[in-house]
Amino acid sequence: MEEEQTVRELGHDEFNPNGTLALITLYFLILVVMWVFMYFVEFLGNELTVVG
Amino acid sequence: MNIHSYEKIWLVVAILLIVGFISTVTYGATAVGIDMVSDDGGTVNASALDEDPRFSDPRVEQVGDNEYEAYVVAQQFIFKPDPITVPANSTVTFFITSPDVIHGFEIVGTNANTMVIPGQVAELTVNFNEAGEYGVLCHEYCGSGHHTMEGSVVVQPEDEFENGGAE
Amino acid sequence: MGSALETGTPSFVDRFPQEASVVKSALMSSFIALFLGAIFGLIQGLHRTDVFRVLDSQFYYTVLTAHGVLMVVSFTIFFLVGVFTWAVVRSLDRPLEDIRYTWAWYGLMVTGTLMAVTAILGGFVPSSGLSADVLYTFYAPMQAHPLFYGGLAIFIIGTWLAGADWFRSWYNWKQEHPDERIPLQTFMVLTTMLMWYIATIGVATAVVVFLLPWSLGLIENINPLLTRTLFWFWGHPVVYFWLMPAYLLWYTVLPSISGGRLFSDPLARVVFVLFLLLSTPVGIHHQYLDPGIAEGFKLIAMTNTMFLLLPSFLTAFTVVASMEHGARQRGGRGLLGWLRALPWRNPAFTGMALAGLMFAAGGFSGMINAGMNINYLIHNTLWVPGHFHLTVGTASGLTFMAGSYWLWPQLTNKPLFSRPIALGQTVVWFVGMALMSNAMHVMGLFGVPRRTAEPQYQGFDFVASFGSITELRMQLALGATLLFISTLMFVGNIALSSGSPTRSGLGKPIRQPLSPAADSPEVLDNLKLWFGIAMVLVALAYALPLASIVSGSGIVDRGVSAAPMLIEGVSGLSPIAVVSDAVSRVGVVIAGVLV
Repeated sequence: MEEEQTVRELGHDEFNPNGTLALITLYFLILVVMWVFMYFVEFLGNELTVVG
Repeated sequence: MNIHSYEKIWLVVAILLIVGFISTVTYGATAVGIDMVSDDGGTVNASALDEDPRFSDPRVEQVGDNEYEAYVVAQQFIFKPDPITVPANSTVTFFITSPDVIHGFEIVGTNANTMVIPGQVAELTVNFNEAGEYGVLCHEYCGSGHHTMEGSVVVQPEDEFENGGAE
Repeated sequence: MGSALETGTPSFVDRFPQEASVVKSALMSSFIALFLGAIFGLIQGLHRTDVFRVLDSQFYYTVLTAHGVLMVVSFTIFFLVGVFTWAVVRSLDRPLEDIRYTWAWYGLMVTGTLMAVTAILGGFVPSSGLSADVLYTFYAPMQAHPLFYGGLAIFIIGTWLAGADWFRSWYNWKQEHPDERIPLQTFMVLTTMLMWYIATIGVATAVVVFLLPWSLGLIENINPLLTRTLFWFWGHPVVYFWLMPAYLLWYTVLPSISGGRLFSDPLARVVFVLFLLLSTPVGIHHQYLDPGIAEGFKLIAMTNTMFLLLPSFLTAFTVVASMEHGARQRGGRGLLGWLRALPWRNPAFTGMALAGLMFAAGGFSGMINAGMNINYLIHNTLWVPGHFHLTVGTASGLTFMAGSYWLWPQLTNKPLFSRPIALGQTVVWFVGMALMSNAMHVMGLFGVPRRTAEPQYQGFDFVASFGSITELRMQLALGATLLFISTLMFVGNIALSSGSPTRSGLGKPIRQPLSPAADSPEVLDNLKLWFGIAMVLVALAYALPLASIVSGSGIVDRGVSAAPMLIEGVSGLSPIAVVSDAVSRVGVVIAGVLV
């Protein structure tokens, strides 16, 4: 197996996880859309909701 | 404690998302009026169902204007009554119990879904609109014949039901 | 944590040969369980979709019980005790206190597993009188042979003793290092075990106080709602018992494999403390549709569960940030371009990365499951197994396999037999799981039930609002087949590695985190405090519901009779007669299964 090839060292103060922020924002948006779809379309749009 | 500013942002956003989920569910419980199956149905003696006025004779009974109660027994491996017949445009409260093991009761393709536990009575109220037919199945493993356990709910046009269409 | 990066590092087995031996045994038990469980899983996937039925449908439930127990009790927990032993010894840099004690608890776990699995497999041999066709959840009043409950109890006691072993190591280390923070891996192990001690109160009570005596005929009745509630008291935190070893690997191993460093040690501690606090007071979310439990208790469980999302959300950020750090250290650039600089040819990396990605999807279906009233839509449908195959099946399962590619050579001083096959295995798993789980989620939305041998009914058809049920069944069967092939690839690769020549220098060091433990408040290491708070939260969540169940239907319910899932019942016999009876029946089973 190949060993890790470190091209440069990044210390704590030099590293900003911009890519992570972008990906997690995308994830957040997917969650919101999926939740709204599941709850309001799939669930509330389904028949025989229990009301009592 | 040294937390990166991006992670602080995400912490706040995550908490907002969680609060959003809780709010949606609360909206469903209050504004939409969805009730959870609870202990409202009370308990029952599972080995003496034939002495209970409801479950000794599983049936649908009218209790008000467009209001009905359905007494259902789920047991290995049938639902009684089968079919469960109700009229269109009615509000039906199901009371479901079991004399043997834990079963499930799902009106297929709908949100009417509950567990059936011997000794407990599951009570749930739903509104039926148009005439039609639904399948019912047991979704909690209850023995070797579990996969054969099915029933049905028949929603009859109102005039047909009044003329004693079925019971 | 470990020392500076150097090549030709001594491996774990070089430094701690006796400990490596135990870890290897635990991992081997785990892989054997995975392999057997996978055979059963394939049978199920082909049977319920009506693609290929090799057994009579009543035996489906025997298969299902075996698959569940082997996968989520044996495979996962044997792996956990292996990885946790490795992690404690490595991070404290200290051998175990008494290796015989360690072998003893491992031996108990093996004994318990063999007892339970024998009882389950007895279901294939009706003449044995042994069976446990009760599924992994063993809901009363369905009743299994006492060997099943006894086996589970002994297994759990083994895990309790394992935890004590690691606490003892830490305690002795602390005498020699009084002012140091708990090393991160050990911190994770200890907080997980504290959670486990709290969680197992539920299932241990259900099994030891009620189900085992009941199956022996010592008590006549039980209250099925009570034992079910006690099961789920444990049944939710156990999923964190499956996840925490995966999180341990993601936090402490994955950053180094990615070429980087853990983004934040303090946040990792916070996450594990949150799991200790919140994992148990949520179990009622598995009972949203149960009669006999008031809506208020369900609402509390729902709120607690939603907050339990927080440590996983934090984990997503920290783990991805650590991977990004590694990618950028490897020369990756750009907002998303760094993804290409990750070591995708390393199966340990790719497996964990794919597992994490799949967990993001599984987490979502879990959020739906948690949503109290939306549970009406999916409860006990095929959506639920769709969800947990993504989480325990992939987030845990695939991470365990990927982690094994990294760890196994360090336990054996033998390199992995084939890196390309290992890499292929992770991809096949991901694709197979994506197909199977997607089909399960969608069919669940159409109302198709879980835990059912033949979900094809006479009186009605399932209506698919998009696609077709037939296509979805084929997809499920295909996915299950790919998963089985992937399992063979994994087990085969590990097995064939024993033929590799021994090599030195296979040790893999772990880099220091970017933000070290010293950056966090010392109160995080105050395990007694967190344990105390966790107990209070559990008491708040469960005292009233349990009291209400007992006052409503009794500590035992005399109206409910046992339903032995047996050919001949054994209740009424003395325990000694039952045990000797069981031993002779075990012989019949072994003969019956082998012939």
